[in-house]
Amino acid sequence: MSHPDSGVLAEFRAGIIDGRRGARISAHLATCEHCADLCDSLAEVSVLIGAVPVPVMPDQVVRRLDGVLAAEAARRDISERAGVHSSPGRVAGSSINGAASGSGTNPAGSGSGTNGAGSGRRWNFRLVAMRVLAPAAAAVLLGAGGYGLSQIGATSPTESTAASEPSAAASSVGHGAASSASRAGAIPEIEAPALQVVISSTDYRRTTLRQQLERQLRLPKGDAGPNEPATLSVKACVLRVTKGISPGTLLLVEEAYFQGQPATVIVAVSGHQQIAWVAGDGCSAAEKDLLAMTALSGTSAN
Amino acid sequence: MANTDGEWPSDAELLLRHVAGDSDAFGELFRRHRDRLWAVALRTVCDPEEAADALQDAMVSAFRRAADFRGDSAVTTWLHRIVVNASLDRLRRRAVRPAMSAGDEHALEALVVHDPDPARTADTKLDVDAALRILPPTQRAALVVVDMLGFSVADAAVILGTSPGTVKSRCARARARLLPHVEHLRGNRSASESVSPAQGGDV
Repeated sequence: MSHPDSGVLAEFRAGIIDGRRGARISAHLATCEHCADLCDSLAEVSVLIGAVPVPVMPDQVVRRLDGVLAAEAARRDISERAGVHSSPGRVAGSSINGAASGSGTNPAGSGSGTNGAGSGRRWNFRLVAMRVLAPAAAAVLLGAGGYGLSQIGATSPTESTAASEPSAAASSVGHGAASSASRAGAIPEIEAPALQVVISSTDYRRTTLRQQLERQLRLPKGDAGPNEPATLSVKACVLRVTKGISPGTLLLVEEAYFQGQPATVIVAVSGHQQIAWVAGDGCSAAEKDLLAMTALSGTSAN
Repeated sequence: MANTDGEWPSDAELLLRHVAGDSDAFGELFRRHRDRLWAVALRTVCDPEEAADALQDAMVSAFRRAADFRGDSAVTTWLHRIVVNASLDRLRRRAVRPAMSAGDEHALEALVVHDPDPARTADTKLDVDAALRILPPTQRAALVVVDMLGFSVADAAVILGTSPGTVKSRCARARARLLPHVEHLRGNRSASESVSPAQGGDV
């Protein structure tokens, strides 16, 4: 027979060619040194690849992912207490969702009232509750945000006594910012001014983001840079990025730079810490364009 | 099947604790497997910055969807599957809009320089890395999972969301395709007798 090409030999070695064709190749290999060598070479490709050491995750990526997971845990913690779940959202592509053992949608189930009946069921229930509540909660957050810039940090929203169950959360959201805020004990009952944005020329760097932000948050109001009412596009961005975060937890919205590029920096309180997001130019109601995310120690909250 | 070599608590236990509300459990699970998960992402997307993004997408997704895990595979298999999907997803998106992923060169540099790999068998590593880039993403992912990380074909099929037959065939095609590009690496001891890569047909 003619010499099989390396692709066929590779398939033969992988066991996907059998039957008569396989027998023919097998017989050929017994007599053809060239093809037998080729088979050996193919085997060595696997050995060679297997010998490449597994790369160690760079420190920077370790820190980033630790921060992201800490923020996720904090967000879940706070939303569990508030009865509002963070959005599973579009952080991950649809194909990733499909990877979760094939259950793309979460069956709501009718057992929504039976919170104690197994964590899986409770989880699903929370997701359902979130879908209804998240947009309203985010809107409240924006209303309270401007005031929050100077005041909110003093009280952690985890101390909230409100909304240990979703219906309570729903009603508080329904009553608007002031009512929700007073329930949470975090925001006085006043008309919340428009969302203020700090304009600064700070160039945040990926490696020092956390330290820079912690320094920025310690500055007295006004020292961080001039304040301006948020534009519509910044509001949309803040809404998109903070979706699912509890009302009245916004600490800072800053128009600054990240790695030399214009960026919007957003900090909100979540649980015992603060989460910071850095969104790029493309941040809008539809797209987060997240450049970085980190958990801060939350010095002002605790 | 569990890949934890008797570590306690087991991966499954950690995931269970996470679903039950333990805020440290998922982080622990991630710490346990992060280097291998990083390897899959990095080798599949061939770009440290994109790999970090893919891994972040994947871990956030896994964190939030842990309750959907049914236990019909090992937890690591499930985690790898999510990372592979996120990585291939990134590649697809990059292919659609290449101009937009210009990326952050400073961060990229930092990442590249940061790769501490003392046991680095320098040339082999670099050349295999470079060679892997010529493969189509799905073949590359298969080869990384099977030949580089040593998963069984059955587990690789779960990770890649396809049949064992497809895994075998992707790996086979990938090996054949890589052969001419890595042959010089194995040549040290057998260069003199190595044959030229077959072009098919009669030689």
